[in-house]
Amino acid sequence: MIQQAVALLIIAFFLVRLFQQKKKQQISKNEFTFWLIFWLLAGLAIGFIKTIDQVVAQLGFSGSGINFLFYLAVMILFYFLFKMRLKIVKLEKNITDLTREMSLRK
Amino acid sequence: MRVFCVIPAYNEAKTIADVISQVKPLVDEVVVVDDNSQDNTLTLAKEAGATALHHPINRGQGAALQTGNAYALEHSADIIVHFDADGQFLSQEIADVVQPIKDQKAEIVFGSRFLEKKTNLPWSKKHLIMPLARLINKLFFGINLTDPQSGFRAMTKDVARQIKIENDGMAHCNEILIKSFKNKYRIQEVPITVIYHEFGQKFSGGFRIIKDLIYKKIIK
Repeated sequence: MIQQAVALLIIAFFLVRLFQQKKKQQISKNEFTFWLIFWLLAGLAIGFIKTIDQVVAQLGFSGSGINFLFYLAVMILFYFLFKMRLKIVKLEKNITDLTREMSLRK
Repeated sequence: MRVFCVIPAYNEAKTIADVISQVKPLVDEVVVVDDNSQDNTLTLAKEAGATALHHPINRGQGAALQTGNAYALEHSADIIVHFDADGQFLSQEIADVVQPIKDQKAEIVFGSRFLEKKTNLPWSKKHLIMPLARLINKLFFGINLTDPQSGFRAMTKDVARQIKIENDGMAHCNEILIKSFKNKYRIQEVPITVIYHEFGQKFSGGFRIIKDLIYKKIIK
């Protein structure tokens, strides 16, 4: 119960920061919507952790709901990391193309 | 046939002037691509009489070579030679690397440190790193050449036009090999001598090359 309260407090902190960033126009509308949905879903998952426990058990997994959420979070993080890496590679390519163009046109 | 020699250079102030003076009489134009050196490589290259291009941002050897290729193609090169700026290749061997193309026996020629000539290759490089690189090239890319990482090569203008080097770092060596085999060019290897002043590519560099090749494959 205390752990759930702490987790919800952390989520509330990130939600406040999210609204502050939106107010200061530091993030786009789409980004704001994405993170808002993300944190609300995370809050719901924490609030209904017992229900998730039951669902996970019905699916035949031996771990608890919180473990399931943890594994899911790691997978999602890896996906974002990979996407970010690909984006960096594309940016690097654009920088190289620009550098080449500048050196050839001088 | 107009022969251009492309020399990528990064902080090569110690050797660049000598290399240019040795190469210049043997080719029609020497193109030095200064990859944003922190020393006076660019000025020395200009003073030595080379065409000196300057990358305003450091982009790596592969990127510099592609810039050199693009310049050579824009200026009507027939044959493009890739040569190192650190003085580890022998300029007189440019003729050996270019000859099979002039004789129309090959479209791309790779210098090899593992044929007849003697090269003072470090032991671990000769007996560990290179055999492993050869094995990876053979297993994954079907490449069967004696030297998997040679930076001394010559190619026709058509090959240079088709092989657009996309790997900015050291993976360009493998990329050129892979594309040469994939496009079924007439390939030849000629023996070259390499004088090692320092170790060069390390074992960790090999892993970086594999990682770069994989990323390039994925984002295609």
